Amino acid sequence: MNVVVTPAMLGQVIVSGILAGSLYAMVALGLGLIFGVMRVINIAHGPLLMLGAYTTYFLTTRAGLNPFLTVPIAMAALFVVGLLLQRTLVFRVVDAPELSSLLLTFGISIALVNLAQLAFTSDLRAVEYITGAWVVGGLAFSRPRVIAFAFAAAVTALSFVLLKRTRLGKAIRATSQSREVAMVCGVDVARIHMLTFGFASALAAAGGALLAVIVAIQPEMGGVWTFKSFLVIVLGGAGNYPGALVGGLLLGLVEQVASLFLTTQLSEVVAYVLLVLVLLVRPSGLLGGRQT
Amino acid sequence: MTKAPAALAVALVLAVGSVVPATAQGPIRIGASLSLTGTYAKLGKNQHEGYQLCEKDLNAKGGLLGRKIQFVVYDDQSMPATAVRLYEKLITEDKVDAIMGPYSSPVTEAAVNVTEKYKKVMVAPLAATTSIFKKGRKYIFMVISPAEVYLEGLIDMAAKRGLKTVAVVNEDTLFSKAAAAGAVELAKKKGMQVVFQEAYPKGNTDFSALLTKLKAANADVLAAATYFDDAVALTRQMKELNVNPKMYGVTVGGDLPEFYDTLKQNAEYIYGATQWEHTLPYPGNQEWFDTYKKEFGHEPSYHSAAGYAGCLIYAEAAKRANGLDADRVREQLLKLEMRTIFGDYKVDADGFQVAHKMITFQWQKEKKATVWPEDLTQGKPQFPTPPWTSR
Repeated sequence: MNVVVTPAMLGQVIVSGILAGSLYAMVALGLGLIFGVMRVINIAHGPLLMLGAYTTYFLTTRAGLNPFLTVPIAMAALFVVGLLLQRTLVFRVVDAPELSSLLLTFGISIALVNLAQLAFTSDLRAVEYITGAWVVGGLAFSRPRVIAFAFAAAVTALSFVLLKRTRLGKAIRATSQSREVAMVCGVDVARIHMLTFGFASALAAAGGALLAVIVAIQPEMGGVWTFKSFLVIVLGGAGNYPGALVGGLLLGLVEQVASLFLTTQLSEVVAYVLLVLVLLVRPSGLLGGRQT
Repeated sequence: MTKAPAALAVALVLAVGSVVPATAQGPIRIGASLSLTGTYAKLGKNQHEGYQLCEKDLNAKGGLLGRKIQFVVYDDQSMPATAVRLYEKLITEDKVDAIMGPYSSPVTEAAVNVTEKYKKVMVAPLAATTSIFKKGRKYIFMVISPAEVYLEGLIDMAAKRGLKTVAVVNEDTLFSKAAAAGAVELAKKKGMQVVFQEAYPKGNTDFSALLTKLKAANADVLAAATYFDDAVALTRQMKELNVNPKMYGVTVGGDLPEFYDTLKQNAEYIYGATQWEHTLPYPGNQEWFDTYKKEFGHEPSYHSAAGYAGCLIYAEAAKRANGLDADRVREQLLKLEMRTIFGDYKVDADGFQVAHKMITFQWQKEKKATVWPEDLTQGKPQFPTPPWTSR
């Protein structure tokens, strides 16, 4: 309302957009991996993130750990949860029509949220660790968000190294390109599926653990992250892993810049209009269709 | 053959009923659905405990109309559609004698359609949305203050201190929109200028862009119609971006102990609104607070107090009507003026609350100091709020 946007203001929201986008990219990479390898759209991705946030909350408040030290612990814990989910439930729908996997993961998502409500109650929790901002050249860099950015960038970079350089990563990419050929080449596809689901859950958990110091924790906090991750991988190109990075940063920037020039309310509209445009112009996403 | 025992039973009941005096009748059964699980579980449970304590207290004083009262409560899982089904069941299958309201505006908005259909009086103690009461419904009665007045105290105090400009932000949901609209209207009425106004979607946790604009608008007062997560995120980012209004107030969420636990010293100086505090000078308030704590092992929230008061208000109207007939109880509820531990009750012709006062507090040294309205509160606001950099 009658606010003139100055270059300094634009600079500020670009900073915020990149900080937010790094988290989107990391969390969405997990969703993208599962889709790429198994053709399963995991609606439970957000609730897994929520479990990661609770892991950090309890380790911080009960065991007195530094919240950022809990990030690897939350990732390890949710890796196991993801592994078990895949082994007991998700493997049943890998070859089924995509609607079956949607229904199953939707069910898992409801179960996780309600279990969390029973176990942790709906009370809002928060980890108060670090507040305020570093001011550099007139721009405010939120301390918790900058640290979260650093973690997200490191985790994402390590994930790409794992995917690109290791035998396991090669097996994952091979399975995602063609399951039959991978199998013929001696890749244990069932094992790759389990590891991928565990790895993806760990990425969601990292997001949750980092968000724990930024936002309030409650059982339903994950839902919006399922949608945002979905938006990111469709923007970037489903099944293309660098696409998650591009899509995540793009979403973060678009949300913030649209909030500045229009309103916060309209920024979601802009994000989804962008999605429609990308799908019209490049149906396979920005980086879709390229070899990874 | 199979009908004989039933007929016998009916005859027996009729015979007994005609001999035994009214005091030996069964209890007055009051039906309600409450959010005992789901999103609103915590608040719904507090309301339930308010009802339970009311039942206990009334029965200890001889009950209502010479009969004991007994609550019949089902869990609506915080879902409006479930509540509709449960009220239908309470009225048609369980045939309860009276009805009390569920938790929250959305659930009440759905359930009231059932109670109106069967012409049942519903005192709705936890519905704060004005529109529920402005749709020509006849049998619903409001207890708490409406959303529109949540920020009244903040604006009034700001105007008295000569502040001129206001920024209003709100979550784009029914309740928060109404609270923001109320604040804007009041600010204009007081001759203040609204220099910035923006809504944000539910679940929004990044306010960088909104606050960047708000900072440029440089308002004296920030009135934020929030829930909990957004109030926390907004406050944290105000500190990060060094946004310094002379007064900053929030609506829901700001009164929870968790608000301070989460923000620690960053919550200092923030104004909030509350329907009720146990420190307010209402008759029997402090004693009721102590009893409740002993009974349930934790402190009551305003939901507990409103539930308790709503139940007493219904009982008082039934007593004055000398019966449970919906139209006669309704007539009494429209006329009734009553002060309970929750404060004042008086409604207009629509059943809309006009007497209950919203209280404004300020977080001062880890405690909520009630600062408005002056006739009910002792505290003094710490004004103006110092900039983040000099705290």
